[in-house]
Amino acid sequence: MQDIKRTIKYLLILILVLFFLIIFASSIGSADLSFKDTAKIFGSYIPGINNFINIDNIQPQYFDIITRIRLPRIFISILVGIALASSGVIFQGIFRNPMADPYIIGVSAGASFGATIGMLVVTGIRILNISSVSLFAFIGAVSTTFLVYNISRVRNKVSVLTLLLSGVALSALLSSVNSFILMFEAHDLAKVIFWLMGGLTSASWQQFFIICPVIIIFLIISSFFLNDLNIISLGDERATQLGVNTENVKRLLLILASLIAAAAVSVSGIIGFVGLITPHILRLIVGPDHKILYPTSAVAGGIVLLFSDTIARTILSPREIPVGIITSIIGVPFFLYLLIRSKKRIF
Amino acid sequence: MDILKVKNINFSYDGIKVLKDVSFDVEKGNFISILGPNGSGKSTLINIMSKVLKKFNGDIVIDGKNLAKLKPREVAKLVAVVPQSTNPGFDFSVKELVSMGRYPYSKRFGTFSGKDNKFIDNIMIRTRIKGFAEKKYNELSGGEKQRVIIAQALVQDTPIILLDEPTAHLDISFQIELLEFFNQLNVVYGKTIIGIFHDINLAIQYSKKVLFLKDGKVFKYGKTSEVVNEENIERVFSSEVYVGRNPFTGKIYINPTFNTSPGHEEKTRDLRIHVIGGGGAASPIINKLYNKGYIVSCGVVNNLDTDLSTCETLGIPYVSEAPFSPISIYAQNKNLEFINSSDMVILPPIEFGNGNFSNLVSIKEALEKGKKVIVIDSENIKKRDHTDGKAVNLYNKIISKGAKILKSGENIMQVLEAAHGK
Repeated sequence: MQDIKRTIKYLLILILVLFFLIIFASSIGSADLSFKDTAKIFGSYIPGINNFINIDNIQPQYFDIITRIRLPRIFISILVGIALASSGVIFQGIFRNPMADPYIIGVSAGASFGATIGMLVVTGIRILNISSVSLFAFIGAVSTTFLVYNISRVRNKVSVLTLLLSGVALSALLSSVNSFILMFEAHDLAKVIFWLMGGLTSASWQQFFIICPVIIIFLIISSFFLNDLNIISLGDERATQLGVNTENVKRLLLILASLIAAAAVSVSGIIGFVGLITPHILRLIVGPDHKILYPTSAVAGGIVLLFSDTIARTILSPREIPVGIITSIIGVPFFLYLLIRSKKRIF
Repeated sequence: MDILKVKNINFSYDGIKVLKDVSFDVEKGNFISILGPNGSGKSTLINIMSKVLKKFNGDIVIDGKNLAKLKPREVAKLVAVVPQSTNPGFDFSVKELVSMGRYPYSKRFGTFSGKDNKFIDNIMIRTRIKGFAEKKYNELSGGEKQRVIIAQALVQDTPIILLDEPTAHLDISFQIELLEFFNQLNVVYGKTIIGIFHDINLAIQYSKKVLFLKDGKVFKYGKTSEVVNEENIERVFSSEVYVGRNPFTGKIYINPTFNTSPGHEEKTRDLRIHVIGGGGAASPIINKLYNKGYIVSCGVVNNLDTDLSTCETLGIPYVSEAPFSPISIYAQNKNLEFINSSDMVILPPIEFGNGNFSNLVSIKEALEKGKKVIVIDSENIKKRDHTDGKAVNLYNKIISKGAKILKSGENIMQVLEAAHGK
């Protein structure tokens, strides 16, 4: 009971922060609105409240700017942030290592390779209105993870070490092939590199409605195994002794977390550090219990990425910086700080 | 009633047969030690009984149910394992860790009923960890950590508890405390306990039955008093031991007399020196001699003595006796064998009581056989004598018979090197 109360307390705080950040992020951009007017525009869409809000002095085009241009991007950045952070929590739990992230077993390399193919080799395919870049990035990410997993499987068991090593090896191979392809397509280099740095410029409601259900469903399924994840972090053998169906749960969670990360990466490109840092910070605040860590990290991931993306699109306005650069600039010093701190403590 | 039946277990790992046709039955409420040298398959057997290892031939029936057909959760309600140590990947609190043991009874999101929470609380009180329930596991001492691990296994509320060397990282007082605790679980709460222990003596003090494993086979299985004897121990462990009885509990006691046989290892100096031990007085000298490459042996020391741990750490052969017990004739004779095969005997400033008086007698015999004896007399013998003058008399006799006296242990090396040079 105490746990549930704590979880709700932290979640409420985080959701409140996220809510204000959404209004704030919607208000800034090349057409500047005040925070108050933005809040009014939001309110006017909520039945019941809209009768009490006076929107007469707000220019009608602002409604379009917010709902058609800013909000889809805001919601996609939140969703991608949620996806990266929660899949980060799962990977860190399975690997029993706070330095693991969603890209650790080849999601990023696979997605990059897929995206390059989608941009340069097989262009113009559209299924369900998904661009070939997203489609191939998703396929690349999922199949790389699948391959890595199967390489490291020995007698139906997966050792963490071989998983990491085969992830590193396959990632290295894919990026070499990637570079090789890029050698011949120099004129498209900028496009590919921009994608690799991560960005949400192409965000649209359509994109949102395709990845949202996918990510949400996987998130919900994985949330059934949070208690198992706690126990798995004691090690496979101990977890089995305590009654966890270790192999099955690990396999399922690895697949789910990879799918979540792949879905996110397919629309955003490679955005680093959100999946690594967010669970880390939240673990310091709420503790290591995944039942609390998982939902809070998810919301916090949304906050972090929305915040970073808002900076990315406004700080050098009208130019945009790839959001991956912002998350790294914020994330790396923080990561190093944590590293030094933990070095003093245990290592 | 048999709560556990192990039938014809065969297990191979990487093509090597680890367990060969292992069969035994365990009655409900028994306390069994599995004894055997490293690599005899003890841990493998524990892992099979807890279904950590699944691919084996044969059957294990627990409480009438076939282990192979049980889900991990169901197994965890029948068999709990207390491991040597646990290494949580993250900084969990004591309460969080203990609650994990209740997993087999939890609902989907890991929530418990009020009854479960009460049970967890109750176990934490009994294992005396409730006081630091909110503390982080990593901040605890070794003994506290071990109690948390035990609590985690106990909240599983199983009829069978498997112990996988749970005392290996603990000092002797904690080892005894833990075994007393398991004994209480066994006697008072009727839990069936099957364990591997790294200290054979402690194990047989508490267990009702012993299963000897050798090369993956059951060598002997039966009542402790019937199967633990010199012959069986020697054949299983292939080392020289002698079996006596603990003078306080009347139970069997095993004394290893050798760690390595003397003179086996090639040393830089071929002078053999036997040091009389006791109370830690011999340790600095043993250390010095060892470092200079002399062939050192030690005896007779009681188990739990600092000098004995020094010997164990350095891998030096020694003669030992049960803790707090007088030196037996057997041990004294072993000690004389050691003395006979050495070139020199050193007597550090140890305390003498009636229990170890025979060490002085052995020194006298050494002198009579023409061995070189060095006595370190850095503390007055009168202060070290707790035998009402008996030790002082013999000590003086030894000195008058020509033992070399050193006023301190500091310059023993120069003396030895001078003697060795000749």
